Amino acid sequence: MKTLSKYLRTIVCVGLILIFQFSVLNSVSAQGIMGGHVTGNIQLDGQISSADSIIGAQDVPEWLLMNARADILYTNGGFSAGLRFEAYQNPMLGFDNRYKGEGIANYFVSYQGEKLSVTAGNFYEQFGSGMILRAYEDRYLGIDNSLRGLNVTLRPFNGVTIKALAGKQRYFWNYADGMVRGIDGEVNLNSIIRCMAESRFRATLGAGFVSKYEDDQTIAFPDNPSYRLNLPLNVGAGAVRMDLAYGNWGLQAEYAHKGQDPSIMNNFIYREGEALMLNATYSQKGFSANVQAKRVDNMSFKSVRSESGEMLYINYIPAITKQHTYAFLSMYPYATQTTGEMGLQGDVMYKIKKETLLGGKYGTDIHINGSIITGIDTNNIGGAGTRGYESDWFKTGDLYYADASLEVAKKLSKAVKLTCTYGYQVFNPVVEGHNGPLHHNHIVVGDLTWKVNKKNVLRFEAEWMGSDSKYDPNVDDKRCGDWIMGLVEYNFTSAWFVSVSDQYAYQDGIGNYYNVSVGYNHGATRLQLGYGKQREGLLCIGGVCRQVPASNGLTFSLTTSF
Amino acid sequence: MKKLFLTLACIALGGIALAQNAQLPQNITIKALDGTSVQTSAIQNDGKPMIISFWATWCKPCNRELNTIKEVYEEWQEETGVKLVAISIDDARSAARVKPHVDGNGWEYEVYLDQNQDFKRAMNVVNVPHTFVVNGKGEIVWQHTSFVEGSEEELLEVVKKAAMETEK
Repeated sequence: MKTLSKYLRTIVCVGLILIFQFSVLNSVSAQGIMGGHVTGNIQLDGQISSADSIIGAQDVPEWLLMNARADILYTNGGFSAGLRFEAYQNPMLGFDNRYKGEGIANYFVSYQGEKLSVTAGNFYEQFGSGMILRAYEDRYLGIDNSLRGLNVTLRPFNGVTIKALAGKQRYFWNYADGMVRGIDGEVNLNSIIRCMAESRFRATLGAGFVSKYEDDQTIAFPDNPSYRLNLPLNVGAGAVRMDLAYGNWGLQAEYAHKGQDPSIMNNFIYREGEALMLNATYSQKGFSANVQAKRVDNMSFKSVRSESGEMLYINYIPAITKQHTYAFLSMYPYATQTTGEMGLQGDVMYKIKKETLLGGKYGTDIHINGSIITGIDTNNIGGAGTRGYESDWFKTGDLYYADASLEVAKKLSKAVKLTCTYGYQVFNPVVEGHNGPLHHNHIVVGDLTWKVNKKNVLRFEAEWMGSDSKYDPNVDDKRCGDWIMGLVEYNFTSAWFVSVSDQYAYQDGIGNYYNVSVGYNHGATRLQLGYGKQREGLLCIGGVCRQVPASNGLTFSLTTSF
Repeated sequence: MKKLFLTLACIALGGIALAQNAQLPQNITIKALDGTSVQTSAIQNDGKPMIISFWATWCKPCNRELNTIKEVYEEWQEETGVKLVAISIDDARSAARVKPHVDGNGWEYEVYLDQNQDFKRAMNVVNVPHTFVVNGKGEIVWQHTSFVEGSEEELLEVVKKAAMETEK
């Protein structure tokens, strides 16, 4: 290991010196062939944490936890090369401990031309909406599904895109054994059919295929352990999609199908998988509506069949529920059940015009949203080694999640803006892997921004959540009960901010999350310090939004790009 | 480890000094709202300045920024010729909501989807909102992360300066 890290260090130094040389040469010969630019970003997050059983922060013997990362990118015309350094000393709360360590986590060289793009090394890619392939990263969630290999994109004529790739998925500091190969094509009919060029009817069609190869292994047949499962070494998945629009109307559809893929995720059954996603929209200036529907059946697709948990997904089945940003509305986030779910979601946005009775002097924005997600119908016909179950396509299973919300935003005067939200949620704890009664929550949020003058802005937020759930130490779900929250944020221009907040379980629950944060922004640099107890989740204060891990104590965060 | 980090920091600072006038990346593929693939070289404004704003439907400060600018956008355009290009980083979960969101809010910006986040990575965007000002020569002359009411005034000053430079 030591030699390896030494070796990596040498690579970094040489790489960085090379990049440095390039940029120095660039500044000397402004128009020379060596012209190019070095850009990058650095991120440093740390926490000095103390144990707190109430919020679930564990005792941390090393007292300081830190995640650091730096991306360095060299670009010269269509050519670019980059590397990423990551260090987890030790990983922050909520990050998998297998990230512990430091080194070059990602590197690539790439050429992006008009007709051809090639990337060798680590790359991110997505076919359609990602139902059969999505290599992506979410740095704040500790997800990096990047593929290391080769990615080629061809654009032979305007309107036609063909992608081909092969690689292995990142698995913490290693690469998974399974090999991922894929090809995808997309055609924009308006670009290739001359008479459609100016048509109000817009159409894009696409199709993709992904294959995974993994070596054989011995998995005993549960009914008769002297037999072993005959595992498919190659698993294929294909998808077709279309994106149609006519005037104000739009329709997107994608259907994916996956071959037999017995894995730990589906309890080694041989049923084929499928998923369908539909989205219809109507929109005009000041009014829009959209409806989404989906059905997912046995679509967990990973590059290693024995991998449970959140890593090594080749595909991505998005949750169609709305991503809320207020603390209580997002306290019970819905996570997609890749093994099977059905869902329906709708959104309406409407702007009441200025100078009308309801619109007032500045107009009023109304946003309505609702969703319902259930399991699929399953009729068991066997366990591992069989087709597992049969399913009636149109029959729904248990209710997993439902929500409805109404948001009204109104500018009261030149300086004051008020947003009020009411939300109702039903949450089934089975989506997080435990049984228990449904939670029914009512949530009310008031959010007021007051621009005192050009440089000083105050923001107040008050939230309430009434729930029929009660805290049970055996289940230990710390979100149960009735909650209130208050937040005050003061901004001095966009440079400085201070925020103070408290979330308190006043009935049937436990927990008191108080937090003080101070931040400074300058250009693309942001420094933030916090003290208190923090629930994990999406946090939008001081003018930006980001995911934060659970913490108890002092936290600091520095991000910069150049 | 410490040494390595110091080296990185030094190089980074060196980079800051040298990369003052980085150009907008040219051949990265993004999508227009009607589903057509577009290369970033198509982001142009006839030699006038542009504001490039990375945002997401779920990001409140981003929405505040784009809604605040909406109210003064016409004035800004008349005064400086500026064009605002809004790059959505929404992923498969919310990408389908982008067009209804843009229309519902009545935004008249040029909007693109960067679902695979290639453009976001090339521009070193970490958090949203992250806003850039590009001058008439396609050079990035200013960038800022975060938005608070009132900071649009600072943005306008930068745009005016970029517009004046272009006229020279």
